[in-house]
Amino acid sequence: MKEHNHEEPVEDYEIRMWKRKLIWGWALTIPIAILMLLMRVFNIEIFSETTTLIINLVLAFPVIFIIGWTTLNSGIKGFISFYFNMDSLISLGTIVAYFTGILSLFGLVQDYSGVAAMIMAFFITGKYVETLARGRASKEIKKLLEMGAKNARVLRNNIEIEIPISDVKLNEIMVVKPGEKIPTDGIVVKGESSVDESMVTGESIPTEKKINSNVIGATINQDGILYVKASKVGSDTFLAHIIQLLEETQSSKIPIQKLADQITSIFVPVILLITLFTFFNWWYFTDLNRAISTGVAVLVIACPCALGLATPTALMVGSGMGAKNGILIRKGEAIQTMKEVKIVVFDKTGTITKGKPEVREVFGEGLEIAASLEKLSEHPIAKSIVNYANLKKYKDVKNFKVLRGRGVEGTINGKKIVIGNSTLMKENKILLSKFEDALYKFENSGYTTMIIAENKKAIGAIGVADAVKDDSKEAIALLNKAGYKTVMITGDNERTAKAIAREVGISDVIANVLPEEKAMKVKELQLQGFVAFIGDGINDAPALKQANVGIAIGTGTDIAIEAGDIVLAKGSLVDVVKAINLSKATFSKIKQNLFWAFAYNTIAIPLAIGGVLHPVVAEIAMALSSITVVTNANLLRRKKI
Amino acid sequence: MKKKLNIEGMHCASCASNVERSLKNVKGVKSVSVGIMTKKGFVEVEDNVKDEDLINAVKKVGYKVTGIENA
Repeated sequence: MKEHNHEEPVEDYEIRMWKRKLIWGWALTIPIAILMLLMRVFNIEIFSETTTLIINLVLAFPVIFIIGWTTLNSGIKGFISFYFNMDSLISLGTIVAYFTGILSLFGLVQDYSGVAAMIMAFFITGKYVETLARGRASKEIKKLLEMGAKNARVLRNNIEIEIPISDVKLNEIMVVKPGEKIPTDGIVVKGESSVDESMVTGESIPTEKKINSNVIGATINQDGILYVKASKVGSDTFLAHIIQLLEETQSSKIPIQKLADQITSIFVPVILLITLFTFFNWWYFTDLNRAISTGVAVLVIACPCALGLATPTALMVGSGMGAKNGILIRKGEAIQTMKEVKIVVFDKTGTITKGKPEVREVFGEGLEIAASLEKLSEHPIAKSIVNYANLKKYKDVKNFKVLRGRGVEGTINGKKIVIGNSTLMKENKILLSKFEDALYKFENSGYTTMIIAENKKAIGAIGVADAVKDDSKEAIALLNKAGYKTVMITGDNERTAKAIAREVGISDVIANVLPEEKAMKVKELQLQGFVAFIGDGINDAPALKQANVGIAIGTGTDIAIEAGDIVLAKGSLVDVVKAINLSKATFSKIKQNLFWAFAYNTIAIPLAIGGVLHPVVAEIAMALSSITVVTNANLLRRKKI
Repeated sequence: MKKKLNIEGMHCASCASNVERSLKNVKGVKSVSVGIMTKKGFVEVEDNVKDEDLINAVKKVGYKVTGIENA
């Protein structure tokens, strides 16, 4: 057998192989079938019985032993190693049937060699159609594989040269003209343009890119020339990660498959025993000819293939559809767990909101002190205060300390400064009576309030708000309507949190939660039912892990994050709804497929044992069962998510 | 350590489960998942497991590893 070129998708190679077998197989089998039909149905004998027999043997030989060789080879290996597979069954069936032809030369048994050829021909037909359908099932991943740019134009010694993508080095400057693919992940160093990222993130609106913007390889530059410094190449790129992730998911197992897998693993040996039993039984009660025919029918009909394909095909189509929409299913198991989920918990910052807080109101004094202190912190709220104050010169800060989840402290001009939420003020026994009205107003507007205290005395307050994402409200309304309990979890105080929850329509709020407590809160909620947690993959990793289904919101290129069962490439919460719908649709497809596969086997095998099915009919039924399952999986695409 | 194996010759689900079983029996293999659709196996192994051990385990049950890489 010719080694196939590894650049081309496996399916294409397989499709060609089966097609060739199909054509040759039928070219030799059709004459056999015509002779058989004329003789059995119309009682016309063109040749003498012996001549017909020899014609059958001659034509059937290449069908089974040459065209069917890959199957026989794999099946025989199964017998030798005791790792039986379904090829073992079809091999035994066709070989036994063929040899009846040789035995019948001596008048010992009836000739089934023509039947053997027909079984093989139908088997090959089934395989061909199945491979075609499997090719369709994997079309998304194929698209991803083909999507990468082939060439890149790079600047070397100030000259633009075109090189193959594999030659691009890290930090090299690539020149991307309008309408061209960005060759690999990088950072814009010159130029401005909008970039169509729909193929990797599912986001249909082009994204504006300027200096210092991150761009993703394989996305398409729309209208300006971009100079991009390559930041990731080869298997480190965003696209390579997505492909890897998808392949891994599609190779993984879902719990519901376990039973099917257990059955397939003992199926073949069990069928071999059943065949022996059937054969001897029929031989004893009727005659050898019926025994052979029935035995062969049992062998060829009993294919665990449909059972084995039921789950992986649906998973492949479902995860592929997801990838196209920027929904990456990392753990196949999540598809099954999703249908049990009753409670959907959202982290606030960066999930419901944009994660870019801005100062909205300042009360009292201390902005300058606050900005000087917050300058030393990396927290988004700190940054918003620094930006807002926009100081030319910062005050000297000593003894700076971040108080995780509460605020910061430090010393400026010998005075102890504490900036943070009311919990922090309470801890420091700082009275807030003078500020009560302002705080009340801030919190009711959904502002996160930072209080500034100097030497244990509150001197001012800053109201920071993080705008809600445009479609958060829509997504949460959809979830509420579908009967989920929606919960928001946040470090903000109760009043601030409730104001935001009201804005987006979330029913329950868990406020004042420190970052490290989120996982524990999820655990508490799990007492009421299965929980899906939606948060960013970096800070919320423990909560994502604790939840029954963790949905990580990625933004742009950090998709490779290890946390989360499902990763959403866009930040949109509507994708949470889509992810839930997709999971449910895929899982119900899996159940349908398993049902059909089981039903087929439980009906067909007894029929074959009972001698009701002709071996050729049995083979047709077997081929149809696999085709049904794969085709049904492809029908998942019709579902709108 | 996780390895990705490209496997050739698997025609059916029982093939995939045979490969899976055989790989699981290799000493130092922690978890295995072989996809019949993807024709790929993802194997979680101890650091001391050699690639040849995995390749041979696949070969033993009648299939061929055409590529192995760290995943």
